[in-house]
Amino acid sequence: MKLAGNDILIQSLINEGVEYIFGYPGGAALHIYDSIFKQKEMQHILVRHEQGATHAADGYARATGKPGVVMVTSGPGATNAITGIATAFMDSIPMIVISGQVQSHLIGTDAFQETDMIGISRPIVKHSFTVDHQSNIAQIVKEAFHIATSGRQGPVVIDIPKDLTNPDDLFDYEYPKEVNIRSYNPPLDPELSQIERVVEAILNANQPVIYAGGGTISSNASKELIELNSYINFPVTNTLMGLGVYPATDDKFLGMLGMHGTFQANMAMHNADLILAIGARFDDRITNTPDKFAPNAQIVHFDVDHSSVSKIIEADIAVFGQVKNSLQAINSLIKERLNDIDNSKIQKWHSQIAEWKNNHGLNHDLYKDKSDSKPILPQAVVQHIYHASKGNAFVTSDVGQHQMFAAQYYHFDEPRKWINSGGLGTMGFGLPSAMGVKLAYPDEEVVCITGEGSIQMCIQELSTCSQYKLPIKIFNINNLSLGMVKQWQDMNYDGRHSSISYEDSLPDFKSLVESYGHIGIKITKNSELRDGIEKAFSIKDKLVFVDVYVDPNEHVYPMLVAPNGSLKDMWLSKGNKT
Amino acid sequence: MIERQLTLIMENKPGALARVVGLFHQRGYNIDSLHVDPIDDFTQYKFIEDELSIKFSKGEVSRLIIKTTVGDALMRQILRQINKLIEVIAVSDNESTYLKGILRDENLL
Ligand SMILES: Cc1ncc(C[n+]2csc(CCOP(=O)(O)OP(=O)(O)O)c2C)c(N)n1
Ligand SMILES: [Mg+2]
Repeated sequence: MKLAGNDILIQSLINEGVEYIFGYPGGAALHIYDSIFKQKEMQHILVRHEQGATHAADGYARATGKPGVVMVTSGPGATNAITGIATAFMDSIPMIVISGQVQSHLIGTDAFQETDMIGISRPIVKHSFTVDHQSNIAQIVKEAFHIATSGRQGPVVIDIPKDLTNPDDLFDYEYPKEVNIRSYNPPLDPELSQIERVVEAILNANQPVIYAGGGTISSNASKELIELNSYINFPVTNTLMGLGVYPATDDKFLGMLGMHGTFQANMAMHNADLILAIGARFDDRITNTPDKFAPNAQIVHFDVDHSSVSKIIEADIAVFGQVKNSLQAINSLIKERLNDIDNSKIQKWHSQIAEWKNNHGLNHDLYKDKSDSKPILPQAVVQHIYHASKGNAFVTSDVGQHQMFAAQYYHFDEPRKWINSGGLGTMGFGLPSAMGVKLAYPDEEVVCITGEGSIQMCIQELSTCSQYKLPIKIFNINNLSLGMVKQWQDMNYDGRHSSISYEDSLPDFKSLVESYGHIGIKITKNSELRDGIEKAFSIKDKLVFVDVYVDPNEHVYPMLVAPNGSLKDMWLSKGNKT
Repeated sequence: MIERQLTLIMENKPGALARVVGLFHQRGYNIDSLHVDPIDDFTQYKFIEDELSIKFSKGEVSRLIIKTTVGDALMRQILRQINKLIEVIAVSDNESTYLKGILRDENLL
């Protein structure tokens, strides 16, 4: 078959099984958009800003495990996509970003809308390609998908000069069946000797903890993790990125750990004698001061990325490989050793953890207080959302206090249901990522828990939601300020609130969303909270935006004491620390 | 901190060198010196061809020699980060080599 460059590109995406392209057209991408117009297999979702396209593709990828695909034009189209590429990179999310480029002969001349996309994106991509000839397009697409979705996943950029998509020049087209990049070989199966060492460590532990992160989700290893723990019954904590990989309603689940982790999760980590770190990377929001991290623990680190292991915390046993394969290997060895597992050995440890939880665990019953004598608590809003959605929703979030409350109080029982920007912490992520999730799962409940600060960073996508009829539920935890920044200013700058409020200039969100054809609900009193939230969920065919006015003085606790603190050093409430 | 030498064998593709140099800057490592040239005579690295079961043609791959002054832990990190670059076929320091992603305990390059 002979095709032009633009059609080769689009046909290659179709051959990869792409369902949606999130994008925005422009000069350098016009030939490509003409090819998109002529086909029926994929749907192009026209966003309102390229950042929205990247986050939507990212949300789609996080929810489905399949790579998200983005199309942008050169220059400003490409630069607008950068924040979303960096967001995906930090959380190891598979994404393909195709950027139009000026014509080959103009490259380097400061041509109209020319920008060095490969150069600008280099530090925030797993890999990138410049298309140099039409006959290489199919191979490049094949390699790009392979790289994005294997090993430690991540975004891949394909930059394609306009002349190479010219509809008049035809070339042979056949989509490659296989791909083999001779310099690239991500680890898959672990070394058996390491697995044997891990099994011994498991059998000898008295105070063990499983610390599982986003890598366990990327590797689709939730089932294997649950199976492992059905044999060994260890307490389990998840990172912000890992929530859902182990069921939150299981009695061995400790909640999230780290900066705003639960008391029992942080205490268990600090006092552990064995930590099984699974697809987690000892981020600084997890370790607090690395020198003081878990002083008595033997560290076992499972990761597909060699460079993640012993980067921050030295591992005693390193297991390189896909987390799924490594856990399968452990499970098959453990199954032969069931008689050697002495569950009574860790009973004291479980009781100690239960006591920590009793003394300082989170209060999940705040939603029961309906009195109007106090302002609405943001935590209670999340609890109501949890109950009204029966714990089944996909929940996307933005960045700030509302994000932490969502992570703390919504119990995620399944992986890929909690969608947030953990590594980069990108405000503006919540709404567009929810669009990607809703397109992937039109029959599922998709909720975005946001703040009045974050939502305004990509609020233009409300228009995309009306165009494609995406009935997501947005809960705006409105504290009239950049709450998380304000909290730090309260705690570290004697309450000097520098540039965190815009109280008099906030839009009336209800009328704003109504102008896009959506439904707005405004809630200001506790007594209206439950009904308002239930009403939002009862509306199935429309986007509902619930603007909830909450106590502007609330802080997120626990919070690690920094600098120089360890994981056992936490603020538990205002002015009260461990 | 001691001065160390890193040897890389990588695809001779546009932008590949920039990825290596960019990585040093991005991760806060320093380059003392850098030398790069395409490999014409591959005899010395025949074991790589055997390992990958391919035949390199002239100029297809380059050798980079980078000198940097760092401690042990950082050296290990640098090696691992370079190994992650898709176009790097092999990288070694004085004690170890990553060849197509797999770690060996000797300097093969
Ligand atoms: C793009 C971007 N800019 C700045 C920040 C820094 N930041 C982190 S949280 C936060 C406040 C967010 O306010 P809001 O969305 O209202 O959430 P709240 O904390 O009030 O719940 C800011 C400014 C960020 N994370 N992302
Ligand atoms: Mg706010």
